[in-house]
Amino acid sequence: MMAYSEDQIALAAEYALGTLDADERAQVETMMSVDKDFTAIVESWQFRLGVLNQMVGSVEPGPEVWGRIRAAVGLAEAQAALVLPEAPPVAPPFEEPAPAADTSNIIHLSSQARRWRNIASFTTAIAAALVALIAVGAYQPDLLPDGLRPKPRTQLVEVKAPPVAAVPSAQYVAVLQKEGGSPAFILTVDGTTRNFTIRKVGATPEVGKSFELWLISDKLPQPRSLGVIGGGDFTARPVLASYDADLINAATYAVTVEQAGGSPDGRPHSAPVFAGKLIQTVPPATSAPAK
Amino acid sequence: MLTPAELVWLIAAVAKGDEAAFERLYAATRAKLFGVVLRILRRQDLAEEVIQEAYVKIWNSAGQFNPGLSSPITWMASIARNRAIDVVRKKGELSIEEEPTAMEVAADSPDPLARREMSEELKRLLECVGRLEPDRQKLVLLAYYNGWSREQLAAKFETPVNTVKTWLRRSMMDIRECLGL
Repeated sequence: MMAYSEDQIALAAEYALGTLDADERAQVETMMSVDKDFTAIVESWQFRLGVLNQMVGSVEPGPEVWGRIRAAVGLAEAQAALVLPEAPPVAPPFEEPAPAADTSNIIHLSSQARRWRNIASFTTAIAAALVALIAVGAYQPDLLPDGLRPKPRTQLVEVKAPPVAAVPSAQYVAVLQKEGGSPAFILTVDGTTRNFTIRKVGATPEVGKSFELWLISDKLPQPRSLGVIGGGDFTARPVLASYDADLINAATYAVTVEQAGGSPDGRPHSAPVFAGKLIQTVPPATSAPAK
Repeated sequence: MLTPAELVWLIAAVAKGDEAAFERLYAATRAKLFGVVLRILRRQDLAEEVIQEAYVKIWNSAGQFNPGLSSPITWMASIARNRAIDVVRKKGELSIEEEPTAMEVAADSPDPLARREMSEELKRLLECVGRLEPDRQKLVLLAYYNGWSREQLAAKFETPVNTVKTWLRRSMMDIRECLGL
């Protein structure tokens, strides 16, 4: 391979990183089309950096995309949209009146949770840019300067003021309860901002344990932690913002008992103790909640 | 979820025009690829267009996949992400920012799931990123995950674009040295 200048290597690296402007990208693509060795350098950067995508969470595209892909590559008429294998039945989100307990859910959930725990999956969480740093911190905290060491996850995240909305947004509520038991937590989600709050109404964790809230969806390979439920009555977090509205509406919300401070590895360690689904309480003034 | 080895077999079958393999490959990887591009484009419609183009490219270039160079999912995600960056650069950040349907990116919310199941390559890369100065770590990761341009990064870090340019270049060269490339 011929020697490349540091300028060329930096250009290849920045192309892979994605920070070049449109003209510079076109320039790199032209160089790649005439120079196999340069192409190899660019690709090597892409693959080196590409492992970062391991930390990006999976999101389901719309079901019609597959049909368009088939048509675009000249394959025959698409069949019905693919369905994830073994997808758990999803109850219609808004039909049931409020806190009637779906008792079958509890047992169903625990087997679900077990199954999910066993899936060796290389898809991981919705990645925030800074998650990688937190992961570095978790893996080798010494590599990070003090300021960047991960903060304890029990820290409450301040909810941003919702964007100025011309119309009131839909509100959703889930009552999380034990089979036949009284409500333990009330979860409310704002349909537009997707901020949620969880209010503890009748449950106290054992000493040395924490309650952790999970989102369980057939669209996700395993339960997603929504964080440890703080000591106070309210825990409010904006973390649902990265999920789409349909997923949020159809998901099951479950609480597990974890070691103090929450699950150390991002997976639930108990069967769901309390669970429930969202019910729409305030319909949106116009149409569906923001996508 | 399929193992990397299973994905390699599927891609090999796709290279021979096996439709059923293509469908399985799509089913196994679409959500990951969509997650990657949605994060950058922040619009369902644009992200779906990009995903469509990416799978067409995967169908057409499956024969060029070299399992010795990268894992199947990394290869596929690179194709999709590359296309997403092209779109976002051509469109210009402003027009996307102003779209009413643009989704909020929870750029700063840490996710506790991220610690598990990291590949050796990822750990090694993160170790090298972790050796950069704190601001530059954020710079590189925001650029990669959110697909931000130098201008957006400059605004975020309240720094002139030229400084960002220098930081990015220096950071990439430092990572290169750290990885022993």
